[in-house]
Amino acid sequence: MATLSINNLNKTYPNGVKALNNVSIEIENGMFGLLGPNGAGKSSLMRTLATLQEADSGSAFLDDIDILNEPAKLREVLGYLPQEFGVYAKITAEQLLDHMCVLKGISNGKERKELVNYLLQKVNLYDKRNKSVKGFSGGMKQRVGIAQALIGSPKLIIVDEPTAGLDPGERNRFHNLLADVAQDVVILLSTHIVDDVHELCSNFAVMSQGQIVYNGTPNDAVSQLKGKVWQKQIEREELNTHQENFQVISDKMVAGKPIIHVYSEENPMNGFNNITPSLEDVFFVKTKLNLTTETV
Amino acid sequence: MFREFLFLELKSAFKRPMVYIFFFIVALLSFFAIITDSVTIGGSIGNVFKNAPIVITQFVSALSLFGILFAVAFFNNAALRDYNNNFNEILFSTPISKASYYFGRFFGALVLATIPLLGIYLGVVLGTIMGPLLGTVSADRLGPLFLETFVNNYLLFILPNMFFAGVIIFALAVKFKNTIVSFVGAFGLIIAYLISGTLLSEIDNETIAALSDTFGLGAWSVESRYFTPAEKNTISPGFSGIFFINRLVWFSVGMVILLLSYLSFSFKEKLGRVKKQTNEAIATVVSFTKPVVQITPSSWLNFKSFFKISFLNIVKSMVFKVIFIFAFILLLVEIIGGYEYFGLKSYPLTYIVVDMITGSTGLFFVIILIFFSGELVWNDRQAHINEVINATPHKSFISLFAKVMTLVGVAAFLFFLFSIIGIIYQLILGFTDIQYSLYFLEFIYDFLPNYLFFSIFFIFVQVVANHKYQGYFISLIFTVLLEIILSAMDISSNMINLGGSPSLSYSDMNGFGPGFTGAMWFAAYWLLFGGILLIIAGLFWVRSAGGSFKTRLKLASVNLRNGNTIPLGIVCTLWFATAGFVYYNTQVLNTYDTRDERELISVDYEKQFKKYENIVLPKIKEVTYTIDIFPESRDVKAKADLLVKNESNQPIDSIHYNYDEEFPPIISIPSAEKVFDDERLGYRIYKLNQPLMPGERTKVKIEIDYISEGFENNRGSTNIIKNGTFLNNNAIPSMGYNSSAELNDKNDRKKYDLPPKSRMAKLFEGDSCTNDCMTNYLSDGRSDWVKTETFISTSSDQLAIAPGSLVKEWKEGDRNYYHYKVDVPSQDFCSFISARYEVGKRDWNGISLEVYYDKKHDYNIELMLDALESSMDYYIKNFGPYYHKQARIIEFPKYATFAQAFPGTMPYSESFGYIIDLEDTTKNNVIDAVVAHEMAHQWWAHQVVGASMQGGTMLSEAFAEYSSLMVMKQKKSPLEMKEFLKYDFNRYLRGRGGELDKELPLYKVENQQYIHYGKGSVILYALQDYIGEDKVNLAMSNFLSEFRYKAPPYPTSLDFIRYLEPQVPDSLNYLIEDWFKSITLYDFRLKEATYVKNEAGKYEVTLEMENRKLKADTIGNEVEVPLNDWVDVGLFKDSEGKELLALERIKFNGNMQSYTFTVDTIPAKAGIDPKRILIERVYEKDNFKTVELVDN
Repeated sequence: MATLSINNLNKTYPNGVKALNNVSIEIENGMFGLLGPNGAGKSSLMRTLATLQEADSGSAFLDDIDILNEPAKLREVLGYLPQEFGVYAKITAEQLLDHMCVLKGISNGKERKELVNYLLQKVNLYDKRNKSVKGFSGGMKQRVGIAQALIGSPKLIIVDEPTAGLDPGERNRFHNLLADVAQDVVILLSTHIVDDVHELCSNFAVMSQGQIVYNGTPNDAVSQLKGKVWQKQIEREELNTHQENFQVISDKMVAGKPIIHVYSEENPMNGFNNITPSLEDVFFVKTKLNLTTETV
Repeated sequence: MFREFLFLELKSAFKRPMVYIFFFIVALLSFFAIITDSVTIGGSIGNVFKNAPIVITQFVSALSLFGILFAVAFFNNAALRDYNNNFNEILFSTPISKASYYFGRFFGALVLATIPLLGIYLGVVLGTIMGPLLGTVSADRLGPLFLETFVNNYLLFILPNMFFAGVIIFALAVKFKNTIVSFVGAFGLIIAYLISGTLLSEIDNETIAALSDTFGLGAWSVESRYFTPAEKNTISPGFSGIFFINRLVWFSVGMVILLLSYLSFSFKEKLGRVKKQTNEAIATVVSFTKPVVQITPSSWLNFKSFFKISFLNIVKSMVFKVIFIFAFILLLVEIIGGYEYFGLKSYPLTYIVVDMITGSTGLFFVIILIFFSGELVWNDRQAHINEVINATPHKSFISLFAKVMTLVGVAAFLFFLFSIIGIIYQLILGFTDIQYSLYFLEFIYDFLPNYLFFSIFFIFVQVVANHKYQGYFISLIFTVLLEIILSAMDISSNMINLGGSPSLSYSDMNGFGPGFTGAMWFAAYWLLFGGILLIIAGLFWVRSAGGSFKTRLKLASVNLRNGNTIPLGIVCTLWFATAGFVYYNTQVLNTYDTRDERELISVDYEKQFKKYENIVLPKIKEVTYTIDIFPESRDVKAKADLLVKNESNQPIDSIHYNYDEEFPPIISIPSAEKVFDDERLGYRIYKLNQPLMPGERTKVKIEIDYISEGFENNRGSTNIIKNGTFLNNNAIPSMGYNSSAELNDKNDRKKYDLPPKSRMAKLFEGDSCTNDCMTNYLSDGRSDWVKTETFISTSSDQLAIAPGSLVKEWKEGDRNYYHYKVDVPSQDFCSFISARYEVGKRDWNGISLEVYYDKKHDYNIELMLDALESSMDYYIKNFGPYYHKQARIIEFPKYATFAQAFPGTMPYSESFGYIIDLEDTTKNNVIDAVVAHEMAHQWWAHQVVGASMQGGTMLSEAFAEYSSLMVMKQKKSPLEMKEFLKYDFNRYLRGRGGELDKELPLYKVENQQYIHYGKGSVILYALQDYIGEDKVNLAMSNFLSEFRYKAPPYPTSLDFIRYLEPQVPDSLNYLIEDWFKSITLYDFRLKEATYVKNEAGKYEVTLEMENRKLKADTIGNEVEVPLNDWVDVGLFKDSEGKELLALERIKFNGNMQSYTFTVDTIPAKAGIDPKRILIERVYEKDNFKTVELVDN
């Protein structure tokens, strides 16, 4: 059982942007989702935890490894798949994974070979192992990335926006992979795809503008919003007025006409129907409205 | 849309480094070609500026061949980019027009392909500006640049040639979609062109040859062949003449090919060749179980893996492949074309092959190191894999060290490949004496330290600069500019010049040479310094998100405190210790003068002591040398006991000596006091208590020690070495003022307010020369004919040799002692040699012929003895007796390449004759030639020697070269001699072009090699063809009889001409005036040679000729003079010109001349001066023509 404790992490970039604003979370074994819009600070947090970025203040511990001050120790038990993952042009998939194995400390050549074969098969790239990764499609490269993140026995796996660019089959496969591993490991998964969190994570947090605006389980998040999310189908021209008068949290199109969700403590009347909130609604409520964790 | 594709092509290329790198390489080559003489891509001949339009055109046309390789990269990329990025399907399904796509890509690549060659312009312009500033080329060798030259060369060479090559490559690429095919195609194109070039040069019909020349080089040389120097300096290739027609022709051919290729191109995929279905085993669902793994991080394994990945990344990259091929081609050219003397090559000894490798590929190693240092440091970031890598638990230092070793590995790999090529070359030539370990040792000692240090340095720069292109810029500054800056600051210490070290040059006789110890210590010094740099780089290595230099500096100091202080401390301490030791050896124990210091010493020396130049001094009559050589410790103790006599008519009250300030001698003169000694400039005055009266003698004793200690900043003396010590009597200080210590360069002299220096005294043209002829040009008045003996000793495993007969040899302790005595009073010109020798001996008529050689060079010993014998034989018969009892040839190490004649003794450089490959006996035998030349000096220079004035060297060098030609002539036919003469011709014509001061007629030659060797020998040879061998020899022999071993006054060239005139018939009197006393050049052109059968069944062959005779002044201006001379015309049986059918000597009268032969068979060729003995302005084929049936 491993615990990742993050306490009051702060980071302000030289251009004044406060990327991390007093971030504190406690994460245990299993999949933890970090949900948030682009620019919320997810990648900053990921990078800091992956020992690739300095924080201005605060601390982070994986069990008793002080992540900020003993990066080398964390690296020994870390698996990381960054948001922007590329590969060397002329190297084969097998060579690349072998290289990563060595760097992660697997000295026995035979063991390496077995592990590489296993991983390649797991991500369905075994028959492309001798092809130079230059010719891989985006999804294939991502699979290589996932494979390398799983090398060794990492205690903390950080994956940043991993399913962008994967087809549904690949995405499924990926989820299964992670689920396999999740039992004894802390997996921090950041994404802006709400369904990923819904499918995989037992706990999640929502991040917006550098702050944690929710931290809990999906079920709790949804039940907190029960009765406060309303839906209505409107005409396109009516959108502006509705946005002025109500707290519109999302507008989607169905058969060409907008369907809006609004947040309201009481019944807003005007043709709105009460609906069971989804996780997506939670996401929009937390990130669009200036509501802090206490009010919900 | 066409524009769209065009600009896309250009934009994407400008974002990548390839076009800049190629541009830069070309600019660098051109720059160096202008500012130095060590890079030649054509070069200037004949008072032609180094940056003349014709020279620039030569660069452009020659480099445009190599430009084909650049073209491959661009055209191949243009054709295949969409396919390689899997974008072709998207693109081809849009409504783009085939033409816009195809031609847009093509012309984009074309523009790009021409850019590298524009580097020539940059190089030339920069070279013109900076050459004089750097002082490597004087301003008067550079002329004005014309915009027309640049524009026309672009339009007539660069563009059309890249167009044609591009058309071919683009077509290949589009058809085969395979980069390798494109490369092979380009390669093939170059080879095919070169081969066709040699074939075309045989063709008589110039027009056809010129038009068939794909890339225009030959066509242009036909157009420009007869340019005078003035024209060469101003005329650029123009839009006229056969040259322009050639360009139009090939441009059209290119267009046709382009069109054909376009028409056969299609957006649709042609499923032409269906690839064979490789029966993939139907995926037996392979199932792996997750293995249990041990986590045991290992820095060594990390290093290996980093190394492997980096190495593969480099070696598989396109830039590397192109650079490699370029270097490979240059190496091949060097290997195949490297000729030495008279068209012969030496046996491909291993060290020669290694020299060829480093000489031709050196630049590319530097380029690869610099370029890939940036790539390696930025690779992870460029591939967007850096975050993943950085998140693994490896030490930054290991990753950096792996990058350094990758660079070294790549360099080693290349060196290895080139070595294989070298070995294959040796084997192909049938040479099996290969010293395999030498390839390895040369790599280890000479190159590895350098590569290793610079790999570290470039990586260090890249890491600290944290910006790839700034890193490149800084790296370049340090490599290219640093030396220039240091030399401007007059700093020559190798401790400051990055990577500096004494030079190593491998000799079979002496191994890696006297610089070896120093080089090893400097290697340690630089490598330890590199260690420091590497550790610092490790501290700076950006692992987390980067920042400004300040942040990284902070991070670096944090890293330092985290356990890196001790390693850094250790390396720093070791480095300081080494630095101290090196400093002590190179700055304290062994000092040296910097270039500016030497200049000042020369200036002060002249300003203070030139006033003593003409004082009367006694002359040396007898000398006994005692030379003790200690090869192991590289020491020599020398003594000279002189007997000097006052041969003037004035009393002498003091004796002056000049000496090398680094080795102050002890000079003892009885009844004399040392009254003046300038230790900085090396000048002493000894006042005699009693003046030495005319006719009186006195003794002088000189003792001088040459002791070497430690190691030096530079290679050190190559005279006193472990095997092959070679000293001459310059080792003993000489009397009086030494004018050769003065500054020679006229610009330098002006800088220091010194009057201009005349090269040599004017020729005395009066009746009998007395006072002006009292000194000869060799001994400069210090002696005339001297009785010489030598006592010389060396270590027990070596042989010591001095001039003269060996009187006695004995052993004392563990040293060998020898006593030599010169058989007849001779020039005071001695050599003292000691080495481990084998000896080949032969007795010939009481004279001992001896060859001393290194055991490994036993190839040509019998040939050398034969050569001694045949030349001795000829000279004794034709010129007079030989007065020594021995004739010795002695090998000395290759640090200098010359052969020289001392009395009875001729040292030959290791790389000169001993290892020449003479297996093909039909070719020129250079050994005969060179041995004969030095042997001839035993008569010409050692029995008679010219007075110290213009024309003096004619009497030794021209005579010696002529004599050796005559020895050759005994064994060859006149037409075979033509091949031999060709080299002397070219020597003369090339030398004329390089003349910096003024050319002079032969009888006034001022020690100019191209005149006394080249012109002199050809003139004398032609003379004997005109008046008869025996007549010329008789003139020389008579001349010799008067002056042999005679006390001064010494003879002048006019004295010889006095003996020559009686031998020349009246009708040929003009030859003496034209050939000896003026600079005369002929210009013969055979316009047409036709034959017709007459009624008698014989063939009448008519030659139509256009001839001119020119006389030149000293700076190359030529003026036509009336032609009224005897010249040979002839007919050849064969088209090779090896067998004469008919030969007539006729009077050429005026410019247009025709002559008719009547012969029995149809000749193949006709020619003017078929034996090629007359000196023409340009040595060309236009003297010859195939004989054709006359058409009515």
